[in-house]
Amino acid sequence: MVSVDFELRKKVMDAHIGDTLKYCYQCNRCTDVCPVSQIAPDRYNPRGNIMASFLGINLFMGQKDNFGIWGCTVCDTCDEICPQKIELTEIFTVLKNMSIAAGEGPDYYTTQASTIYDAGKAIPSQPAIERRREQLGLPKVEEPDVSEVQKILNVTKLNKILNK
Amino acid sequence: MTEYKMFQGCTIGNRIPFLEASARMVFDKLGIKTSEGPFACCPDPVGFNSVDHTSWLAMGARDLTIAEAEEKDIISLCNGCFQTLKLVNKELSHDEHEREKINKILGEVGKEFKGTINVKHFVEVLHEVGEEKIKESIKNDLSGLKVACHTGCHYNRPSEIVQTDDPLKPVKLREIVAATGATPVDYDEEVLCCGAGVGNTEEEPAMQILANKLSSAMNAGAEAIIVNCPACFQQFDTNQKKAEKQTGNSYGLPVLYVTELLALAFGMKPDDMGIKFHRTRPKDLLEKHNLA
Repeated sequence: MVSVDFELRKKVMDAHIGDTLKYCYQCNRCTDVCPVSQIAPDRYNPRGNIMASFLGINLFMGQKDNFGIWGCTVCDTCDEICPQKIELTEIFTVLKNMSIAAGEGPDYYTTQASTIYDAGKAIPSQPAIERRREQLGLPKVEEPDVSEVQKILNVTKLNKILNK
Repeated sequence: MTEYKMFQGCTIGNRIPFLEASARMVFDKLGIKTSEGPFACCPDPVGFNSVDHTSWLAMGARDLTIAEAEEKDIISLCNGCFQTLKLVNKELSHDEHEREKINKILGEVGKEFKGTINVKHFVEVLHEVGEEKIKESIKNDLSGLKVACHTGCHYNRPSEIVQTDDPLKPVKLREIVAATGATPVDYDEEVLCCGAGVGNTEEEPAMQILANKLSSAMNAGAEAIIVNCPACFQQFDTNQKKAEKQTGNSYGLPVLYVTELLALAFGMKPDDMGIKFHRTRPKDLLEKHNLA
């Protein structure tokens, strides 16, 4: 029995992606050019993801293997090739944001976001690299105001998403 | 002369700073002026945007306000930072509703996004400097060196927004490389992604994509791969051994940042730009072409 997930459908349609999604005629050009579909055709299919998003069929959350959305390598090739100018990558971002909010998704993503919350940078400065910069005659990297970053990310409620 | 705000990004600044060394040497030689700023993470268009789009917009907008305060454009040394800052700048400049929402958030720290500056990728800037000026600085003619150019995805896509180059047949990197005398080879997988993105989720498909790319470049006769993104650099340079192990192929294909190639052509020494920190050693290549 297939049921429609109206919340998923609303989020996808609301993501200011214009009306283009409605005009997908499933031509498969996105999947043809997708580098991940080429090597893992049974596990990742952007055309299928677009169809399911539009229909509101939630194939994405609560799965054992979530490679079906997280397999996207974010190369933006599908966006360029789509004859209907659907911004596929933006829709996939909505799906991934929902997956993270549901406490799913690969650890890499929440770990990186957590580092950015704590240090203001995805890769914080470290003494060994600071010395190397000096040896190479490079100026010090100016540090960001981390308290400002955290204030912003508390307003966007990222702290809640990351359980901070 | 325009002065840019330097955005080297987390990967170059805090992990592989030797790429910044060659970039600064080349910028000095060509008269490209830069200054520092207290930027936070761009943040990562692959990682952080996938976690929470609104947080990504707000962080990117905060970085843009730092450059706006000095009325200077940003020059990015990294595809990821470039794409994030360019996309955020565009989205907030054209979508009033989003701009109001983000400015309300930035108001908490006394900042406001105005949309008054531009964001540039360093390849665009080098291309604007032009072939003639690059040729004037060349001490070592690299004729005879065959290379595979790889711009990476976030340099030229989504093309409607970033507007740097052809989205599926980029030419600027090839033209900069050709100005040194080196020959960019044609290879089937030139616009294929390096695979780093999917590598955040699973390693095996990422290494398969990388291997396909390396095989294609080598079959076309490339002696090195030329890149303009630190994520692609790490994928090709650091992960090449993993791709060899997974597929049983052997590559040993050196990877050079385009600014390293230019610096070598300008007669600068490999030691001064930290080429010894590459994992896939370019020693034989440099000796063969009298650049060591």
